[in-house]
Amino acid sequence: MVNRMQENGAILSTRDLNLYYGEKHALIDVSIDIRPNTVTALIGPSGCGKSTLLRCFNRMNDLVGGVRTNGECLFKGKNIYAKEVDVVGLRKKIGMVFQKPNPFPKSIYENIAYGPRIHGIKNKKALDEIVEKSLKSAALWDEVSDRLHEPAMGLSGGQQQRLCIARTLSVEPEIILMDEPCSALDPIATSKIEDLMIELKENYTVIVVTHNMQQAARVSDETGFMYLGKLVEFGDTVQIFERPREELTNNYVTGRFG
Amino acid sequence: MTGLWEILIRGLWFCTAIVAVVAVFFILFFLVRDAGPIFSAVGLETFLGGAVWNPTGSPPAYGTFPLIAGTLLVTLGAMLFATPLGIGSALYLSELASGRVKAVVKPAIELLAGIPSVVFGFFGLVVLTNWIRVGFDVPSGESWLAGSILLGVMALPTIISVSEDAISAVPREFKEGSLAVGATHWQTIRGVIVPSALSGITAALILGMGRAIGETMAVMMVTGNAAIIPDPVFDVLSPVRTLTGTLGIEMGEVAVGSAHYHALFGVAMVLLVITLIVNVCAMLITERLREKTTASAAARHRILSAETAERLLRSSGLLVIALLAGVLWVVAGPCTTLIALAALAAVYGIRERISQRHVQHVAFGFIFISILIVLLILGIILYDIISHGLPALSWEFLTQPPRNLGREGGIFPAIIGTLYLVGGAILVALPIGVGAAIYLTEYTREGPVTKIIRSGVDLLNGTPSIVFGLFGFAFLVLFLGFGVSLLAGLITLGLMVLPTIIRTTEEALRSVPDALREGSFALGATKWQTIQRAVLPPALPGILTGTILSIGRAAGETAPILFTAVVFSRRLLPGSLSDPVMALPYHLFILSTNVPGAEQNQYGTALVLLLLVIGVYLVAIVIRSHYRKTVTW
Repeated sequence: MVNRMQENGAILSTRDLNLYYGEKHALIDVSIDIRPNTVTALIGPSGCGKSTLLRCFNRMNDLVGGVRTNGECLFKGKNIYAKEVDVVGLRKKIGMVFQKPNPFPKSIYENIAYGPRIHGIKNKKALDEIVEKSLKSAALWDEVSDRLHEPAMGLSGGQQQRLCIARTLSVEPEIILMDEPCSALDPIATSKIEDLMIELKENYTVIVVTHNMQQAARVSDETGFMYLGKLVEFGDTVQIFERPREELTNNYVTGRFG
Repeated sequence: MTGLWEILIRGLWFCTAIVAVVAVFFILFFLVRDAGPIFSAVGLETFLGGAVWNPTGSPPAYGTFPLIAGTLLVTLGAMLFATPLGIGSALYLSELASGRVKAVVKPAIELLAGIPSVVFGFFGLVVLTNWIRVGFDVPSGESWLAGSILLGVMALPTIISVSEDAISAVPREFKEGSLAVGATHWQTIRGVIVPSALSGITAALILGMGRAIGETMAVMMVTGNAAIIPDPVFDVLSPVRTLTGTLGIEMGEVAVGSAHYHALFGVAMVLLVITLIVNVCAMLITERLREKTTASAAARHRILSAETAERLLRSSGLLVIALLAGVLWVVAGPCTTLIALAALAAVYGIRERISQRHVQHVAFGFIFISILIVLLILGIILYDIISHGLPALSWEFLTQPPRNLGREGGIFPAIIGTLYLVGGAILVALPIGVGAAIYLTEYTREGPVTKIIRSGVDLLNGTPSIVFGLFGFAFLVLFLGFGVSLLAGLITLGLMVLPTIIRTTEEALRSVPDALREGSFALGATKWQTIQRAVLPPALPGILTGTILSIGRAAGETAPILFTAVVFSRRLLPGSLSDPVMALPYHLFILSTNVPGAEQNQYGTALVLLLLVIGVYLVAIVIRSHYRKTVTW
């Protein structure tokens, strides 16, 4: 198994991952390999477990009471569900952008500086640099550079979401998880975020959960289709959308259900 | 015909709605009227700034400065005690406790809120002051310290429940966003959750402070009541006297119309002004909090930058440390103080080298300790009163009148008197309160009129109970000539619980979905028919809960009936509304302060009062949880 990982060079993999919310079996034997510096899309109908899977990757599911997991989830070959794993350190390396933009009720600057400060950076100049760099990477710098100290809540929805991406970038993660990052945004803001995802894969690995199949087709290199807690099919995006191997996948991507 | 009927009903509810406003004006009017002469006689400056309060001396001195200082010092001490415990407990309940633990701890805290103030005072007098006397080896434990601890405990439930609401209202997204950049749970609490809930927590602290400032019975029973300013000023073992305590002690013995009488109304004015300031602050902050939930309003407010917040936090932290050091110096000597400060400095010096995980352990340790202390306090109070009170309970105790100044015999007339007072108060307050709430929710849109009515209700709610007592005495007993009577007492109590009934009823009515009203209107029902048949029935459990809470509050209150309705010894039951009555809280107060050798009956009375009030609250909790389960919109 380890050999295979090295062969395909996956940065993040799961092996027979199962997750239960109390009695409910939410993820069933999920095995997936995510290659570095790609955009991977997870698609599927509501309640299929795609967000749950995403939240396994940074152990965000730990926050929900009554969750049990078994199987492995390997980040660079190490099981992140092992006992000795430092969840806090893990979340620093695997960042997350949420469905609804969730800037803190602080200024734009403070939103970005929050993460680095948490991890011990106090120097004002270093913080300034991180803020500028993160905002530039998130393609937001030009729009906000003259009002860094104004409340983040005053930004538009799309700007808020890019701010949240910048906040994620500020702690220099290796993987960025995005949970339906555009579902609360209008088409123009959505297209900006999509461009951003493609730019980001140069330096990061992006995994995005989306309801929008066109979006998955536009931005991702690889796509996984999930249904009722199972990963039905996973492969090259073009293949998934044009020559799906599974009947279920075909039905979904051609819009026959969902 | 129906049109006229509808107008009449509307008019009726409008009249009930303005009762609160009228009451506030009457209270103000009678206070000002009776306080006026003293201000013109001695002058405002001497009255507020004079260093000696000795109204029975010759010449009499009417300087309220020591009383104001006493009130502020006791309140300050109470807040120093209650703030860390309250915020810690609120954090525990909202962030750390599992659902099952919370289901037990929360009602326990509500129980603490239900203990009557005279029972707190009684516990303070027989247990707390004794501990202080022995622990610090001083002649008397009746002190600033005792008052502060007791008031702190009494302010805790308010602080905990309001801050917990504020913390729980912080959107989950903030927490997730912080955890997702690799913050620890504690860093998230410190960096995002507490700052987001800050205005709510501040409001909680101010409301708790309002409760502490307005409290009479408990503070009067444990502070020693010497009208002096402690020397040195942070000598917490010195006795002090508060504004409320002064009213409680002297009002009963003063000659009506004398300068002393007017001076006491002046004291009440000062008290009212202080609580008014505190309550207005709380109102403004909660108002801001409500606005802040809308994003556009949030954008208008300038947000504290992290540096300013950090600086503020640091300076207030230093101030608290300095104060605590001063207190420690007095009670434990200079040596301990220096060692404590050195330890603090050492921890501060190596703080950079402590890992975040350890910081979190320490922080959660403190949070855990704070909730344990709160529960421990509750446990000690309940244990003390129940274990000493049970032996006193007997059939005779419950059914006999007192003998030998209450040392022997029972408390039957006091139980009946309390039931009469409470029943009467509810009869007065329920129709008025429900009517006012109906008017506010069903008949008007938010506008200047509702704003005035709501402010009236808020002001009435923030008025200290002793001020109600004074008003009842001046207006009902003297001006209307009711005399010290059941009638005067139940009206005073009724006014006092009115805000609770209005607010809970309003909440209950608001939770009825508009769809029900629209459904009824669509069938051609009139406004009143709709309210009567579609709105009130589903709101009934909520109204009932509010009423029961008011019953509990009215049953435990002492200060409002002190000068309006009660007598200590009366073998006969009241024959009419104009007779004075006995009441459980007052009986306990007199037994524990004025009758030596009545230990067993004191505890017995305290237990009966406690059981009565707690029983009433339990019924409210059961009704609430029952309907919360069965009715969901």
